[in-house]
Amino acid sequence: MKWHKTRKGQQAIVIVCFVTVPLLLLMLFTYIPFGQMVQYSFFKMNYLTPPDKREFVGFKNYIDVFTRDDCFKALKLSAYYCVGALFQLALALFLATILSFKVKGGNVFKGMMFFPYLISGIAIGFIFKFFYTRGFVFDSILQMIGFDLENLPYWLKDQRVNNWSLVATSVWRYFGQNMVLFIGAIMSVDAELYEAASLDGANKLQQFRHIILPSIKTIVTLNVILSITGSLSAFEPPYVITGGGNGTGTYFVIMNEIAHVTQKVGLASAMAVVLLIIIFVCTILQKAFFKYVFRDADSTDESYSAKKARKSRMRLGRKESGR
Amino acid sequence: MKLKKLSSMVLVAAIALTGVACGKSGDETQAPAAKSAGFKQYADIVLGEDFTDLEAEISFFNNRTDLDSEDYGGTTWKEYIEEFNKMYPNIKVNVITDTNYAEDAKTHLQSGDYETVMLIPAIDKADLSSYFESYGTLDVMNQQINYADHWEYKGEVYGVPSTATCQGIVYNKRVFEEAGVTEIPTTPDAFIEALQKIKDHDSSIIPLYTNYAAGWTMGCWDDYTGISATGDEAFTNNTLLHSTDPFKDYGDGTHPYAVYKILYDAVAKGLTEEDYSTTDWEGCKGMINRGEIGCMVLGSWAYPQMEAAGENAADIGYMPFPITVDGKQYALAGPDYCYGVNKNAPEDEKQAGMVFVKWMTEKSGFAYNEDGLPIVAGSTETKLQFDTVTLLQETPAVAGEEDLLNQLNAESELNYRAGGDRRIQLIIEHAAMGDMTLDEIVAEWNAAWTAAQDACGAERN
Repeated sequence: MKWHKTRKGQQAIVIVCFVTVPLLLLMLFTYIPFGQMVQYSFFKMNYLTPPDKREFVGFKNYIDVFTRDDCFKALKLSAYYCVGALFQLALALFLATILSFKVKGGNVFKGMMFFPYLISGIAIGFIFKFFYTRGFVFDSILQMIGFDLENLPYWLKDQRVNNWSLVATSVWRYFGQNMVLFIGAIMSVDAELYEAASLDGANKLQQFRHIILPSIKTIVTLNVILSITGSLSAFEPPYVITGGGNGTGTYFVIMNEIAHVTQKVGLASAMAVVLLIIIFVCTILQKAFFKYVFRDADSTDESYSAKKARKSRMRLGRKESGR
Repeated sequence: MKLKKLSSMVLVAAIALTGVACGKSGDETQAPAAKSAGFKQYADIVLGEDFTDLEAEISFFNNRTDLDSEDYGGTTWKEYIEEFNKMYPNIKVNVITDTNYAEDAKTHLQSGDYETVMLIPAIDKADLSSYFESYGTLDVMNQQINYADHWEYKGEVYGVPSTATCQGIVYNKRVFEEAGVTEIPTTPDAFIEALQKIKDHDSSIIPLYTNYAAGWTMGCWDDYTGISATGDEAFTNNTLLHSTDPFKDYGDGTHPYAVYKILYDAVAKGLTEEDYSTTDWEGCKGMINRGEIGCMVLGSWAYPQMEAAGENAADIGYMPFPITVDGKQYALAGPDYCYGVNKNAPEDEKQAGMVFVKWMTEKSGFAYNEDGLPIVAGSTETKLQFDTVTLLQETPAVAGEEDLLNQLNAESELNYRAGGDRRIQLIIEHAAMGDMTLDEIVAEWNAAWTAAQDACGAERN
């Protein structure tokens, strides 16, 4: 019997056939360009330098990334966006919890809060440019509720507040999306659990703490990791609203400037590789962190269950519904 | 699709072959003679006498979509063509405009199927002769037009400028007059004083609008640091490359330092908009037209746009940059897009195209209407008040140093006259916060420039 006519052989052929196309695409559009970029990062070159005139400089570009004051200063700005991301997740989780119970006009609210995510980042940039302009929308609203224009800062000019202004636009844009993801996860929690819990006299906060949060921990972890990674590579708000001026140039904006205006492609590639490594490290650290946090939560749960039979029954119910 | 392409290629090849065959069969020496009898080059055409009965349909491809619109403040394409047809009733001109001209024009050229008359996009000079008909030799054309050498290759001229622009400051005459500024300032100090007068006269007017947020409007400041600030035609492409500390303070109100000092001082003294981070490029046009802005540092191309942005076109004026070098003022002047005539068009269309270009240059008043500098040699017809100013063109880099400025820019990251918007923005930021003096800023630039000169092997003198 020929191998390719056997069930196993057929299976293997089909698998190979189906896998080849996506793998080829993946190689062609992701890994080969990435490899090229890593290669560029060891050269001194601009876009139009012919390959034979590129000058190999070893790790000089990487050393530059770490010694130039603008690259890592820019990375510090990510702290603003990280804080923003955490606030955004907390807000999204809070609203998602409220909205997953019966609320009048819940769908309208959901729609309204998700809406910003559908607008293109460039359009949002323009919206907020006018929003923050002196004497325009934001200032007028604040004046209406009793603030004096004299005491208000220049939202985009004052370097003490302008990064927060930008972070706020990013929160405004993304919290709706986080919220919808959370609502989706919360919906999958068995409603009987809430009933059982309220029969046992658990209040809403306890329900959230002991039923909802453990049930959606995967999606919370995912959202946190995505948000933190996203805040390391924040680009659109500073690029569109301030053009990276006035101390709002994030790592990406600086990288763009170095690559496209100054045309130091090698240095910009090195910056990209460094950022990639930073993101890897952050993601791994977060994974480890969540593993630790949630393992802890589970073990306390168990210790509770040893003491209280009701709680243990509840947990069992949850596990069953989870499977 | 493929079949169509193939068949058209075969057709083209066949036509080319027959063409060659015809040329071969005929007497070769007669071909150019026959051409000179029928075909007249730019200088030989007498408008209104020659070719008035020529029948042809030509197309004209350009970038001015605004002139297509009925509500354009100035003369529209329709009006130009009607005027042209009074003299040449049988030449039909189809005007085609495009907002993405610079890119699309090149695509048209590459396709081989392009318009009879078009504005020459950025192509290599060596390719000129394969796309465009020569207007005549450089010596002849220099008698006819200014800037004839802009699209010159091997002694032949392939482009006639549509208009020419120069570098100065667009301002609101009424605002300046009402504030008591009767004489146009010619030195940095006088300029700052004038701005202060405007501010004192009416604090709601912004004396100098920086257009910080738009970015590219900031890079424009560099354009004044060459000819306007030094009177040196070779400054950008040669002098700067070999100067020691070119950005230092020369102490006499000239050189790049003086240009940047005007910006720094204006911001530091509160003579610019309150919140530079939210300036609005589109909005500023109407504001200067209404007299809410005193002036803006922009090339003369911006002048007609400011006039067209409202009802007070007569208030808008254009003045030279306020720097005087040894008692004289200078400005950088250069041609805008140039007309080119399709070399591969049929003979009568080519002739009609050339007639049209000459008419546009000499009779249409296009350059005058668009607030440009005169193109016709010897003409002084212009709305720009630049009589006292010496207009200069930049000299190209010396042989072997064509890329040196780019290299120095990349190495120093100053991006001088190459999108260095951030650098000029930083002047405003530091001036507003007062955390760095201009001397400290330029010291950094000089250090970066010196390091780059060393790295690129540029000699310093």
